[in-house]
Amino acid sequence: MKNNKFFLILLGITAFMSACSTLRTAPYDQYSFQKTIELKIDAGQLMEKAETPYQENSIEINNLKNEIAKIVEYEKFKPNNEITYKMWLLLANEDKNLLAGFLKRWEEKETLSPFFITETKGQITEAFDLLLTYEAKKEPAAKNSLLELISKN
Amino acid sequence: MDFEKIFKELRSSLTVLFNDKYNDFSKESKKDIDRFLNASKEKLERWTLLLAEGKLTLQDFEWLVESQKDLFEMKALQAAGISKISLGHFKNNIVSTIINTIQAIIFKV
Repeated sequence: MKNNKFFLILLGITAFMSACSTLRTAPYDQYSFQKTIELKIDAGQLMEKAETPYQENSIEINNLKNEIAKIVEYEKFKPNNEITYKMWLLLANEDKNLLAGFLKRWEEKETLSPFFITETKGQITEAFDLLLTYEAKKEPAAKNSLLELISKN
Repeated sequence: MDFEKIFKELRSSLTVLFNDKYNDFSKESKKDIDRFLNASKEKLERWTLLLAEGKLTLQDFEWLVESQKDLFEMKALQAAGISKISLGHFKNNIVSTIINTIQAIIFKV
């Protein structure tokens, strides 16, 4: 009798958790956080060089583009990670006016003005900060709760 | 240059645009436009000044205004994610309370 009751309650919890599946978010990821900081610094330093011709900086620009492509793929395949992935897509979209859009404009114009660079750098920094504060707010990995539960019993 | 006047005109132009083209636009979305405009005011004022002084070209200015719109989209995504996390925390608290209660009753922990 007691076991039946326990089974029913467990069934209830499972149903409740399934109903809330849309609330799932990927856990906090140290790699994502660290990589985002690295890219924020690298992008900022590279943007400051946009007064010099694009071609002179093409190796560094391509490296940054590759690193962005890698993190976008990484975020894409993490489960329950749609929001972070969509945010990265905005930063990495050449047709939007954020980081990739800035690099495209640099290529088109060959050099950019110092005032434009300063103002755009502020925008891109803000975009990276949105990603970083969001990652920092994510829940710690679910496996921690599981390990805690196992160690208690 | 009277920036307040420019800003007022910008706000009313956007309102007219949304009323004409997107009549069924939700109240929430209209509030989002307002929030975006308020948060953007300081930047728009600075960019307008730089444009008037010839330190930014009209193309630069337009690019930056567009970038503010894209940034707003990122902010909206982040806000949606954070509220999802808060609800998730709430759900986890409920689940762990249920589990702890059951453990205490059935296994007399």
